[in-house]
This record gives sequence, structure tokens and C-alpha cells, in this order.
Amino acid sequence: MAGSGPSLNGPYREMIRVKDLIKQANGTRILRGVSFTVAPQSVLGVIGASGSGKTTLLRCLNGLERIDGGVIECEAIRLEKNLSPHEYARRVKELRRKAGTVFQHLYLFPHLTVLGNIIEAPVHVLRVPRREAETEAYELLESVGLTEKARRYPESLSGGEQQRVAIARALAMHPALLMFDEPTSALDPKRSAGLRSLLRGFVTRGHTMVIVSHSISFLDGLADQLLYLEGGEVVEFGETEQILRAPVDPRTRDFVQQAK
Amino acid sequence: MIQKRLLKLSSFIVLMLLGSLLCVIAVRAQQPLRWGADPSGGAPYIYNDPKHPDQYIGYEKEMVDALATAMGRRAEFVPSDWETLVSALQRRSFDVIVNGLEPTADRIKQIQFSKPYYIFQLALTVRNDEQQIKTLADCRKRVVGTLGNTAASRLLQKEGIPMRGYADPVAAYRDLELKRIDAVLMDVPAEVFYVSKSATLKRAGEPFFRGTYNIGLRLGDDVLKAEVDRGIDKIINDGTLEQILRKWGLWNDAQVELQTQIKSGEQIAPANDLTSSTFNWPEALWRLARAALVTVLVAFGAMIIAVVLGLPLAIGQSKGPRWLQWLCTIYIEFFRGTPVLVQLLFLYFGLPTIGLAMPGWLTALVGLGLNYAAYESQVYRAALEAIPRGQWEAAYLLGMNPLLAFRRIILPQSFRIALPPMTNDFVSLFKDTSVAYAISVWELATAYRELANASGQFLLLGVVVSIFYLAMSLPMAHVARRLERRLQRREAIQAVEAEIV
Repeated sequence: MAGSGPSLNGPYREMIRVKDLIKQANGTRILRGVSFTVAPQSVLGVIGASGSGKTTLLRCLNGLERIDGGVIECEAIRLEKNLSPHEYARRVKELRRKAGTVFQHLYLFPHLTVLGNIIEAPVHVLRVPRREAETEAYELLESVGLTEKARRYPESLSGGEQQRVAIARALAMHPALLMFDEPTSALDPKRSAGLRSLLRGFVTRGHTMVIVSHSISFLDGLADQLLYLEGGEVVEFGETEQILRAPVDPRTRDFVQQAK
Repeated sequence: MIQKRLLKLSSFIVLMLLGSLLCVIAVRAQQPLRWGADPSGGAPYIYNDPKHPDQYIGYEKEMVDALATAMGRRAEFVPSDWETLVSALQRRSFDVIVNGLEPTADRIKQIQFSKPYYIFQLALTVRNDEQQIKTLADCRKRVVGTLGNTAASRLLQKEGIPMRGYADPVAAYRDLELKRIDAVLMDVPAEVFYVSKSATLKRAGEPFFRGTYNIGLRLGDDVLKAEVDRGIDKIINDGTLEQILRKWGLWNDAQVELQTQIKSGEQIAPANDLTSSTFNWPEALWRLARAALVTVLVAFGAMIIAVVLGLPLAIGQSKGPRWLQWLCTIYIEFFRGTPVLVQLLFLYFGLPTIGLAMPGWLTALVGLGLNYAAYESQVYRAALEAIPRGQWEAAYLLGMNPLLAFRRIILPQSFRIALPPMTNDFVSLFKDTSVAYAISVWELATAYRELANASGQFLLLGVVVSIFYLAMSLPMAHVARRLERRLQRREAIQAVEAEIV
């Protein structure tokens, strides 16, 4: 399944390859040539101050934003600037079959129950029989510890519970890749720790993850690699240990120190 | 101090001026003969001169001018509405009614009449291709149009012939041409005027029935009545009236008879009167109930059109290609920016000229539906815009295409936001059905007008009609509230449960 291009990251067969990614809006460049790779079953943490382009990077990866330069490759799917709108949309659709996203604001469907939120896409997009989808949804709810809330509406759940529903909803489509935007923004430290061990479980079960977060303590011990963005540029990209304990660039050092 | 005195002085002057103005008005009011009639479709009695739309012409206009001159006064015409002429007279909008008014028994209870000035007959009109209708008796199973609250309408009622009441003869003859009704029964003057001009209509049988036109006056205005009677004598004796009637083609044997009687000073007995003078309440209630049914039919039909058509309009306007956005905006602004009454008149009288003739109730249903679709589209648009973009994005990221995302995710959420304003619109649509009276649909408001005008029971019938409206609109509002609550309850219960846990 892997692309034929030269590997950028040693012996790994990469899940994601991003090269010279450019995104602009209203004439200004939000991403100015971002490159990195993510190996299968590994976790990439994207860190940086607000306005550094983290969220835009995520929105390019899941196709919500069309890119203005460079390449995004996810296994055999390749997104680049010069595709026709139709072809771009077709490839994005393929990409989304592989990648699930959990937004910062979750965007659960308020008119559906927890169960309804989870089975909506399997039933109506994948055309899985309802009974089958429900059985699987209950398994997913068990894995996030929400079995008894299946018939509730999202509104009546706590923020942490809602987030786990959003995760279950994304997992119901069997994505190989999971993307998170600021997953800890609404969680207290105890709940953050709980989320971290939940996500670690998903990695051991074979998922690859991209996590955008400003919380270094959350990513420490979860992310295999870190990508530090500043002003839409990659300042440093490497093993988590190295970035946190021995950053090469002084800007990274400042950011890590302040975040701690 | 000076200022205060100045203020006093100036207010005194203003009062004086107002007082003298009132005196002048009072003195002048003695002078003109203010007469009321309905000029809309009122040919040949009184109507707008097509050549000079700012002026009125008609044989009664000429007659009143002559009469006023004979009385030493100046005629002053007050345009009014046929069905409310009697109540307008009582409200002192004018002093006499001259509008081909028959002295029926129920009217005699409310106003008094001068001596007759004209003997009218009734004539039945049908389409040229009509073979079966030769007399009124042939109309038992057909619908006959006529003016509301006239000798003709009473005759039809008495004979048990299905009838449609119109506010003016033009509309009646027009509907006959458009095959919405099968025949028209009308006083000969109007019949002569309209049918002689029409290429598609003909007279069926000979004119029949005899009644008189008299001038209506308020009870108690006895001096004026004596004055008017003398005036009528005068214009008959000096041949002025004959001249006017000849000019309008209305001179006939019946007039000769009447004028001979008057010239010889004979008292003229009231003409034969058809009216069942007691108001039949059970029948009135039955008619109101049927009218209520029409109201419900029109309201529900229109709402279905509005709800269904509003959605594509809303989507077309906000999401469609540019040309479609334009088209939808023009539609919406047209229907929201022009009165629904004008729209209905256009649909009813305008569309038939391009060969699209719908019956009145259907016109009202479609017209109100098209009108409210414009309003519903704006409700939908606001509701759609109220859904955060993230809901669309979440649906897309789960692999949904735009149509599926709209149908499964966006629409159900918008519907809940749109429901309360939609309910409001429905209740107001329900009340707006009353504009259908303008195109002679027999719904509640029309029923009220006709029955109240025929009986003078404005107050009691008004209460009854209001009860009818409320009996229909209150349950509707109730059902809507329950639906709304049911949609919210599911979440509310969940929220409460969450609290308890």
C-alpha cells in the first residue's frame, strides 16, 4: 500500500508523509512548507502556540481545507495542489475512510442519542445493518466506559463523557488513523490522564494518531514524535524524548520551558 | 408672565378658529346631497368612466345630479361598498343611498325608503353554448351567480338553487365566462350593460319578476324624505328621468306604467317582497360551519404548499448557483413585498387571460401557499444558518456526502429551530384565509359579511364567527406546542436524569 517515493524516516513504512505543505488564506501563508512523516502505529504530537498553524495543519490532513502547495500522502492516497476539484474531492473522500477526527468542540449530533451518534455513519454511509452496528457500538462504548449512557442525548453528558462519545463515533468507521484537535482543552488533570491511557490502548490495538495539543505534559509519554510549529513553519521535528529533554533550536527550548 | 399671557391668547385664538371652522362645516353640510353607492363594477348604475378614470358616470349618477338640482342642492357622491351600504348610511357616511336598492322587508326595519324611481326585472344569463338552461327552473342542480343581498339572491335562496354571491356584477359575469358557474341572475340594467357587450354570453328566456328601486334614507330623516319624494316627482313630471333612462337604453313599458302612476299622484304599493324577514339562525350556523370547513381546507392546503415549497426556496437562495439565488430572491421579495390580496386578485382574474382558470377556493389555496412559501423559506434559512458549520464538517468527516449530511444531520436540527415560528405562521395563515372573500370564496369571513349584511346582526354573528375561528386556531396552537414540547422533552428528561445521577 505504501507509496513509491523515497522514505524520509529511516526503515519505517510511513503512514503519513507530508512534504512542503503550503496553505494560505486571504493572501497570508498559514503553513509555509511543512514536512514530516508518521509511522504506522505511532503517535505524532503537534505543539505550538495558538496561531502557529496547528489546527490548520489538521484541517489539511483531513481534507477540510484544500492545500495550496506541497504534498500530503496517506498510504497510497496523494493530495496535491494541481488536482481538479473533482479529483481532489474524490481523494479526500478516500482519505476520510482511513482517518477519523475528534474536534476540539466535538460536534456531536444533538438530535441523536449516544448510540445514534455512533451508528449514524456506519448505517448510512457503510450500510452496515442496524443490529450489527448497534452491537459494535456497544463494544465501542464499553471500551470508552460509557455503556450505560447509550440511550442518553449528548446534552445530558459531562464534557469528558461527550469527548469519549466523539471518540467512539470516529472509531465506528474503523479508521487506521485518528486525529485529535486539543483533546485536553476541556479536561481537568485527572481526566487528562484517563484520556491518555485510553488513547495509549488504541495505539496498542494498531491505530496511528496525530494529536494537536498545547499541553506538553499530556503528550509526554503518549507521543512518539513531536512537531513544533511556529508561524506556520516547522521549527523542530523529532523523537519526543529529544524534543522535550534536549531541544536543538532555542525557540523550541523556550516553548518547552514555558509550557512546563 | 408675558409668555404665559401670550400662550393663553394664542390658545384662545386657536379655539376660536376651530369653532368657526366647525360652524362653517355645519352650515355647508346642509347644502350638498351626500349619496352613497358602490361604483366598483357598478355599471350602468354608477361606475368609473373608462375614458376618464377620475370621473364617475352612470344613469343613477345622472339621475341624482338631476334630483339634487330639482331639490336646489349639489350632489356629492360618496363611494362605498355594496354590502355595507345600509350600515354606512346608519353611520352617517352619507345621507341617502341611490344604488338600485330594493325596499326589502328586512331593510325597511333598518332604514326608510323614498317613492320608487325605477321598476326593475331580473334576467338570467348563460354562456352562448349553453343548451339546457332556459329558465331559472333549469338551474336546480347548477350554480347560479348573483350579487349578495339582492332580490335576485333572495329569489335563488327561496327557490333552493345553489348560489354564489359576488360583490360586483363584473366578477359574476367573468366567472360565468370562465365556466366557474353555470348562470348569472341579475337585475336587467346590469344585465343589459354587460351581456350586450359580451360575445360569449346570452340572455336565457325573458326577463321576469318585478321590483322597484327606491332611495334609502335613515329612519327619522323625514324632512329629507319629503324633499327627496318631491324631487323624484319633479324629475319624472318634467321628463328628465325619462330622458336619462332612454339615453341608457333602460326605458321600457314598466317605466311608462310607473311614471304614469306617479304623475297621476297615485300611491305606489311596495313591490312584491321575497324576503323571509326573520333571520334563520340554525341555517345561518349551518352555513357558517360549512364556511369554516372551507377555511380549514384552504389553510391546511396552503400550509402544505408553503412548507414543501419553502425548503427548495431557502436552499436555492442560500446555496444555489448565482442565477438560482437571484430567481429565489426575486420570488421571495415579490411575495413578501406585495399584499396577498393583490396576489389573489391577480391569480383569480389575471391568470384566466392566459388560459389558467382555477376555482376560487383553489386559487385561495394556491395563492396563500405561494405567499407563505416565501415566508417559510426565510424561517428555514434562518434555521439552517443557526446550525454550526462544525455539524456539517463532522458529518463530512464521517464520510457523508452533502445530501446525506443535510438530510440526516442538518435538517432534523433545523426543523426543531424552525418549528415555533412555523406554528406562528400557520396561525396567521389561518386568519389570512379571510382575504379569500375578495375572490368570492365562501369562507368564514365572507360568510360573516354576507350573513351580517343580510340580517344586520353584526354583533351576534361576529361573536359566533370569532368562536368558530378560535375553536379552530386554539387546538392548532395547542397541537403545535405539544409537538414542540415532545421534541424537547426527550432531551429534558435526559438532562433531569443526569442531574439525579
